[in-house]
Amino acid sequence: MSRLSGAARHAVFAPLDDGAGRSEAVARRLGRAIALGLIADGEQLPTESELATALNVSTVTLREALSSLRRQGLVETRRGRGGGSFVRASADALTERARRRLREMGTTDLRELGDFHAAIAGAAARLAADRASADNIARLREIVDRLAAARPAHARRRIGGRYYIEVAAAAQSVRLTTQEIDLQSELGELLWSPMRPALDQEKLHERTVHNHRAVIDAVERRAGDAARALTERHIEAGVQRLIELHFDLVERDGGGAGDPPAPP
Amino acid sequence: MTLPRRAEPARVAGWIAAVVEDVFASLEEVRARMLGCHRAVMDRGERLTSDDIAQLRPELLERLRREGEGEVVVGMGMIVTPGLLADEPRRLEWWHTVPGRDPAFLNVDLDPESIGFYDYAEAEWFAVPRRTGARHVVGPYVDYGGTDRYMLTLTLPVRAEGEFLGVVGADVPVSRFEALLLPGLAALDDEVILINAERRIILSNSARRLTGSLLREPDPAGSRPEAAGHAPYDLPNLPWRLLMSARSKAGRAAPPISSAPA
Repeated sequence: MSRLSGAARHAVFAPLDDGAGRSEAVARRLGRAIALGLIADGEQLPTESELATALNVSTVTLREALSSLRRQGLVETRRGRGGGSFVRASADALTERARRRLREMGTTDLRELGDFHAAIAGAAARLAADRASADNIARLREIVDRLAAARPAHARRRIGGRYYIEVAAAAQSVRLTTQEIDLQSELGELLWSPMRPALDQEKLHERTVHNHRAVIDAVERRAGDAARALTERHIEAGVQRLIELHFDLVERDGGGAGDPPAPP
Repeated sequence: MTLPRRAEPARVAGWIAAVVEDVFASLEEVRARMLGCHRAVMDRGERLTSDDIAQLRPELLERLRREGEGEVVVGMGMIVTPGLLADEPRRLEWWHTVPGRDPAFLNVDLDPESIGFYDYAEAEWFAVPRRTGARHVVGPYVDYGGTDRYMLTLTLPVRAEGEFLGVVGADVPVSRFEALLLPGLAALDDEVILINAERRIILSNSARRLTGSLLREPDPAGSRPEAAGHAPYDLPNLPWRLLMSARSKAGRAAPPISSAPA
């Protein structure tokens, strides 16, 4: 499995500037990177002091973040010779993490994420229709073929994110590509985790492959408006499904976020 | 707890209104404190100053702290009508919660010559209660001048013997409002949509009706409640309307994960 560029990995380990909730911010960034597959299953993380220096946080803050990731089942710490912190990106741990995130997000957060992704990916698709070379288009087709063949779900997440990042790169825009990388780290795990019935999961996969091929066809025809419209509609439908899932999760655990106020 | 799958609009409206009425009850107490302070100054034959307004601080901070972890209100304060105070042309005594810390004072640009001037006298949450003399709820809206969050703002006019002093208000993030009410609404068989006066969706339990979007179609016909929809239900003393109807198949396309019998 090929990975993202060195630049994307570099961004994961860049310093954080926010003063409050630092250990949470560290845990969130590393957690997303693991969920996206930027840091692979089984990979050993740099030593605590190296990582703390790279992220510009204290070792105490870093340890708190690592212990939160251990609780989420995303990191394992081994003692002794050859010991250290290792990434554990098991399918179960990732699905559980995605489910918890989706339960905690509000519908407006989800809509906003979709609005923003539709803006970025829609603009990228339109520009790609103007600017993509034959090589870019061949590369996009190859990625979608791999997506079509990908099993199981978490393999799809990685390659599904690659598609959008590659469209933004074909638009020749560093800014759109950077935004798309950030968005994929937020959205990818929600869209692709097998939280829904297996049947729905397969239908979603089929529809996504179908949509992406239609977008690439439009890019190849230099039909920018069509590429944009197809992209936006697909993203909107995806977000709508996430909001339905959110409702199901909220309904299932009832008053998880507080019971409804008693009727007067 | 077991949640009912069916509920009358009046009952659903009651759940929703209870959240809002709690906040307004709190604001009424802040207003009473403000009026007491104003009366004392008048009795001394003086004009109000920003120091007098600052006497509300302990009250505001105490309320914001009490909100605690599961807080609904994230900001509260008194906004003084321009020209009232002896020492300052404009005054915002507004405090907001900061996770893991004490509430903080909201600093905004009150210089009319400045490009970032926060012209609160023109804001709906200020201008409407001043004009109508009644309480008001604004939102959902993007509060880009102040907190940069998606917000509902509740305000009450403060009047003393016919003189308008300003408004007391509270900020409720749309996400908090939803988190509090959605567990009850998600379990209902009916589709529930709450809209404001401009027909913007405040809250819904349907993925086809996203919070923040405008409801374009007319309300369901009230004359045939046995058909698709109940009659629109206007919430008492709030600029909000509740629309309920039997869920269409498209309403929740994905089958619920929990296997509740249809």
